[in-house]
Amino acid sequence: MLPNLDRKLLRDLNRMKGQAVAVSLVMACGLAMLIMARSLIHSLESTRQEYYEAQRFAEAFAHLKRAPNSLAARVAEIPGVATAQAGVAVMVTLDLDGLDEPATGQVRSLPDFGQPELNRLFLRTGSWLSPGSRGEVLVSEAFAEANNLHPGDKLAMLLNGRRKEFRVTGIVLSPEIIFEARPGASLPDNRTYGTFWMPYKEIATAFDLYGAFNYLTLTLAPGAELRPVLAEVDRLLQPYGGRGAYGRADHPSHIRVSDEIRILQTLSIGFPAVFLSVAAFMVNAVLSRLLTLQREQIAILKAFGFTNRQIVFHYLKFAFVMVIGGAVVGAVGGVALGNKLVVMYHLFFRFPDLSFRLDRSALVMALAVGAGAAMVGVFSAVRRAAKLPPAEAMRPEPPANFRPALIERTGIGHLFSHSFRIAVRNLERRPAQALFTVAGLALATGILIIPNSFRDSVTELLGFQWDVVQRQDMNLGLVEPASIQVRDLLRQLPGVIAAEPFRGAAARIRFGHRSRQIGIIGTPADTQHSRVIDGKYREIVLPPEGLVVSTKLAEVLDVKVGDELTVEFLEGRRALRTVPLVGVCEDLTGIAAHMDLRALNRLLGEGDVINGASFTLDMAHRAEFLHALKKIPRVSWVGIKESLRENFRQTTAASINLIQSIYLVFAIVVAFGVVYNNARISLAERSRELATLRVIGFSEREVGAVLITELTILALIALPIGLLLGTGFAKGIVSAVNTETVRLPVIFTLHNYAFATMVVTVASAISALVVLRRLKELNLVSALKAPE
Amino acid sequence: MEPFTPKTSISDAGRKVFHVRGLTKVYGMGQAEVHALAGVDLDLHAGELVVLLGPSGSGKTTLLNNLGGLDVPTAGELRYRDFDLTCANETDLTRYRRDSVGFIFQFYNLIPSLTARENVALITEVARDPMPPEDALNMVNLGARLDHFPAQLSGGEQQRVAIARAIAKRPEVLLCDEPTGALDVRTGIVVLEALERANRDLGTLTVVITHNAVMAEMADRVIHLSDGRVLSEHRNAKRAAPSTLNW
Ligand SMILES: Nc1ncnc2c1ncn2[C@@H]1O[C@H](COP(=O)(O)OP(=O)(O)OP(=O)(O)O)[C@@H](O)[C@H]1O
Ligand SMILES: [Mg+2]
Repeated sequence: MLPNLDRKLLRDLNRMKGQAVAVSLVMACGLAMLIMARSLIHSLESTRQEYYEAQRFAEAFAHLKRAPNSLAARVAEIPGVATAQAGVAVMVTLDLDGLDEPATGQVRSLPDFGQPELNRLFLRTGSWLSPGSRGEVLVSEAFAEANNLHPGDKLAMLLNGRRKEFRVTGIVLSPEIIFEARPGASLPDNRTYGTFWMPYKEIATAFDLYGAFNYLTLTLAPGAELRPVLAEVDRLLQPYGGRGAYGRADHPSHIRVSDEIRILQTLSIGFPAVFLSVAAFMVNAVLSRLLTLQREQIAILKAFGFTNRQIVFHYLKFAFVMVIGGAVVGAVGGVALGNKLVVMYHLFFRFPDLSFRLDRSALVMALAVGAGAAMVGVFSAVRRAAKLPPAEAMRPEPPANFRPALIERTGIGHLFSHSFRIAVRNLERRPAQALFTVAGLALATGILIIPNSFRDSVTELLGFQWDVVQRQDMNLGLVEPASIQVRDLLRQLPGVIAAEPFRGAAARIRFGHRSRQIGIIGTPADTQHSRVIDGKYREIVLPPEGLVVSTKLAEVLDVKVGDELTVEFLEGRRALRTVPLVGVCEDLTGIAAHMDLRALNRLLGEGDVINGASFTLDMAHRAEFLHALKKIPRVSWVGIKESLRENFRQTTAASINLIQSIYLVFAIVVAFGVVYNNARISLAERSRELATLRVIGFSEREVGAVLITELTILALIALPIGLLLGTGFAKGIVSAVNTETVRLPVIFTLHNYAFATMVVTVASAISALVVLRRLKELNLVSALKAPE
Repeated sequence: MEPFTPKTSISDAGRKVFHVRGLTKVYGMGQAEVHALAGVDLDLHAGELVVLLGPSGSGKTTLLNNLGGLDVPTAGELRYRDFDLTCANETDLTRYRRDSVGFIFQFYNLIPSLTARENVALITEVARDPMPPEDALNMVNLGARLDHFPAQLSGGEQQRVAIARAIAKRPEVLLCDEPTGALDVRTGIVVLEALERANRDLGTLTVVITHNAVMAEMADRVIHLSDGRVLSEHRNAKRAAPSTLNW
């Protein structure tokens, strides 16, 4: 049989079920967020780790021009190196039926027989290459999906200028391309860029690299340090056109997953903390009220000999029912959200199996944090009750003390209506309750700002990158640097309105002890295509000498205009030069260094050459232009602005929409919950006052206005704070993603603020109305009776 | 709100204000049925001071609540002038209470967050023909405590603020349910003086419920209730001044 005290608990809970549910739901939001974020971190981290281990993902990487295979053995002997694997990685142009724009890809070599030591592939469908095969290829899953390729399909490539047809035997995944994008590009375009694997013999022969390698990966011996190994590798590869070795921390795919994990970490701490403190306060408010109502009951319990401990425990149980309710809903919600978000990651990240993995420790943490929050909430309220001597508790609570509110003491008090006075004085008398209601509403407003701000930032980024900076419709890269005369040839392609040549050169830029490996882009000084833009969106004309680098690169290298930079070219004659920094420019993706084309060519000392061009096109002739391009063997890659943009827009739109709907639900729950809780408590504590007003002749509407005024004041305080808070949240998150790959501008629009304000206002108003309906049930006669 | 009824003036004295016939109020149903009022017949006139006496549970409060439009009777006639209280809707009842009735409760029921002056002004601002709040508070001798909050006032002072609040709108009816029930003798007399004065100066029909038979001496008319019926009523030849009442 249920102990009587517990039966009382159940009846009390039943009477306060609305508020108990509100508390549980707000708590559930915090816990769901916590469980979701921690579990996603766990899913990504552990899946990536297992994937890396199973496929033996390398720990250091280096591209070079060409070195004899014998060099690989010497690399393997470097102290600290466990395994070194040499191979070939080359850019190729693809010829796909049904794709009117040229696609490019990177082909990597696989051992002719057996598995590679490092960076093993995972076969999704189809079969491995048959030993010693020719004309067979494995295709990366992202590309295969985007182009609807299946095992058995045919695929044509231009290998070193020769068109050859291949049969797709299998669709594979590689730990090297969890995030797959064209090198140097920050946005994926899986339709026009893919990765392919062929036997070493076939690909090396086609590129005259047989017996040699141009790509090296290695793992470290346990306990070995990365830096000295990289330095030694660089030293060995230097004579062979080494472009600088790097570790996982600079590996493009690895970075992207790490960035995502970092964002999740921010989310998993900040939001749950605020949600839970609001919930803790709500527990406190609900219990304080219950205790006030039950002063006499407590006194009687004590008079009957129940100990303080038993009484505290009794009310703690009350709170724990709410915590457990919140934890269950939070866990279910967190798992459901996590499962949805994991699917979203499939758009960007390719794992053999990325499924949601519940972080059990997060579950325990959530319960502990929720219980802790409730304890804090319960403690002060219950302690007050437990301290009451039984006799005192028998008497009704003394009348509340009031005084003129702060705002009235400014001397404008006479301007206020009575309901306004009642409202502000009540708020001032209960600052904590007001504070947490404001906190809850502000939080609800704040979290709504984030997804829209993100959306606006991405739109701004795309607009900046593709309307302000890149005026061209298309970029094209050549397999090898060619004389500038090629430009005239390219200009004659059908539909070309303007063509501008460019030269990209891999280099390491050094200032003091800081350095970055980067492609220096040489363009005509007054380029109208890949424009160089300053912080105020003004065009920069490249000076005849010197470098202009992006603000981020200047920051990374800690240089300012006028400093002399050391530039070590990683191709051609590998010239080592000192170049002054003559300007900084604004860009939002990657880190760039610009230079006048002729100045760059002078530094390189290879004569007037280019290795790519950009075009503006007459869109009516787009198809002919692309068709003509496919026939030029020297073209290595093509990037079409519109398709990149569209692709990106779709994937980000999908994920932002998902996040927005999650935040929307959270915001509504919190706004509704805190307003409901606040209004119910006011209604209960002041039912006598409100009934009196009704008796002496105020209408229901006028009495409701007293409570509404109070809530309106709170909302008016909370909304601006919430907008500020949201601005801060968004800035924080955006700066967490402010990396060398992407720098989102922080954009806040009126529309964003208006939307957040509207959602919170509507949710609060509906919640208030739900509570105010109870005014109808207010018992007028009870006001005449003795106070309870 | 629209004006409800014309105001009375002292010259109306003696005119019938309430018409009560066969007034019945039944709470609960079946086994639990309670006949709080079981056929009350009563006329109340302008300017009268009426004291309602009766044992606990006799239906005094129920009668007062019905007169004040807080509760609707189960059966019988109940008219305030031409206004039929038995079938009025919520809006009309609210307007009736606002314009015509002043309530005084045993536990004062002031708004704790408003000062004495503001508690009174709350009503005068919406009333048709109010007196300034200060005048109302002067009438109950509280002119010096205008800006004090209820928590800063004694019980008697709070009750006098409540009287000021009730009379400031110059109501036609003042309904008081054990107004001195929570007060000591001396304080009770001060409160009764305030009530008596309001009745005299403003000509307000005043109904006072009490358990204290001595208070009957200050009334024009005394009505005894028992088991939901009027047991007896009598008229005092002369009203005694509250200060002369002997507890
Ligand atoms: N809301 C209610 N529900 C049920 N019965 C009620 C209700 N209100 C009053 N009663 C009953 O009606 C009867 C009359 O009650 P009422 O409050 O009018 O008595 P009273 O004369 O004012 O008593 P007292 O002097 O104790 O205040 C009582 O028996 C009471 O129990
Ligand atoms: Mg009574």
